[in-house]
Amino acid sequence: MTVPVLRLGRTLIVTLPSAVSDTEMLELQDRLAEEVGELGIRGVVLDVSVVDVLDSFATRTLRGIAQTVRLRGARAVIVGVRPEVAFSMVRLGLTLEDVPTALDLEEALDHLDRATGGGTGRGR
Amino acid sequence: MERARPLAEPPAPSLAVDEQAALRDFFEVYDAHHEEVSAALLEWARGHPELRAWVEGTPPEEHAERQRRSRELMRRAALDGEWEPYLEHLRTQGMTYSQAGLSFRTWFEVVAGFRRVIHPHLVEAYGGDLPRLGAVLGAVNRLLEVALATVGEAYLEAKEEQIRAQQEAIRELSTPVLPVREGLIILPLVGAIDSTRAQQITERLLRGIEAHRARLVVLDITGVPAVDSAVANHLLQTVRAARLMGATVVVTGMSAANAQTLVRIGVDLSGLNTVGDLRGGLEEADRLLGYRTVRVEPEARAD
Repeated sequence: MTVPVLRLGRTLIVTLPSAVSDTEMLELQDRLAEEVGELGIRGVVLDVSVVDVLDSFATRTLRGIAQTVRLRGARAVIVGVRPEVAFSMVRLGLTLEDVPTALDLEEALDHLDRATGGGTGRGR
Repeated sequence: MERARPLAEPPAPSLAVDEQAALRDFFEVYDAHHEEVSAALLEWARGHPELRAWVEGTPPEEHAERQRRSRELMRRAALDGEWEPYLEHLRTQGMTYSQAGLSFRTWFEVVAGFRRVIHPHLVEAYGGDLPRLGAVLGAVNRLLEVALATVGEAYLEAKEEQIRAQQEAIRELSTPVLPVREGLIILPLVGAIDSTRAQQITERLLRGIEAHRARLVVLDITGVPAVDSAVANHLLQTVRAARLMGATVVVTGMSAANAQTLVRIGVDLSGLNTVGDLRGGLEEADRLLGYRTVRVEPEARAD
């Protein structure tokens, strides 16, 4: 199963499923690297609100995705880390370092708007 | 809240055949004289400072009904060896005493009163056969010991339950989550923090972020007397977890002593955003959220 990706103007919204395999994560990384350039995307929202566990591989890949997206000329933001997920990540010493996070989709989109100078094409 | 562990079932006393027989002997006498025994006990309770209110506040039919039920359960225990319902009844009594605020001593006095009332009847019935009388008195003691232990255990358990509930209430009160304006919550912490409470603070803070959609949290520790390295590390982890959720934490009210302790024990505080006092913290929070507080001059305020 591939991870669903929705397009909203020049923004991609990626919803990670509750249990996501390592292969799927890597496929997602490849796919986003392609699409961000091809479709002229300016912002990518990575929604993890239904994810139960973010282990070290998933965390590393999310960071990798954010960096790749950035190199392709867009910005990424992670949204919807749940309290228990956040705390267990911190316990395991996992951080998202320089990847911005947002509480919900609305704020994530606002953040991308600001970061790209309104370039996400949402027409707001 | 964590439920109290259920009371371990006290095992039914294992009685030898002759003890069983002696218990039956006792019960026959008690059954024959139960009205006198109840009346005498009730009379005694009327003169007791703690029990008086309870006796006078309950209609006589209810006392009679209670006595009848208790005797019936005792019958099943003494004659049929069916202890469980009787022990359960005693447990309930223990809890009721505890909740009614009766003292532990009173229950012992009730038992002593029962012994005093029943003894003459037993002597009258078995006085001619001293070994039998001895066995019966032994059986009464055994029965009352079981009753005392069961009631006592339930009494203490109920008290402990009350204490647990109060501790829980205190903990709840001591970690309020206050929504101040859109996107901003404050957690003023008061009192000592141990690792249990630190964990609870974490949970309430992270849940508070979720519930109030808070982008900013001001954690005020003015009222926290001492912070040790375990607690500091826990708070630090909480701050990082909040950041993962998309919120920023500002810590205010770090006392001089706490600051020195943290530096001395070498806690890495580089991830901590601190402001001197709560007022400064709120100003910083407003700045980060893009709010500006403007004082309106009195003449401009006149409606």
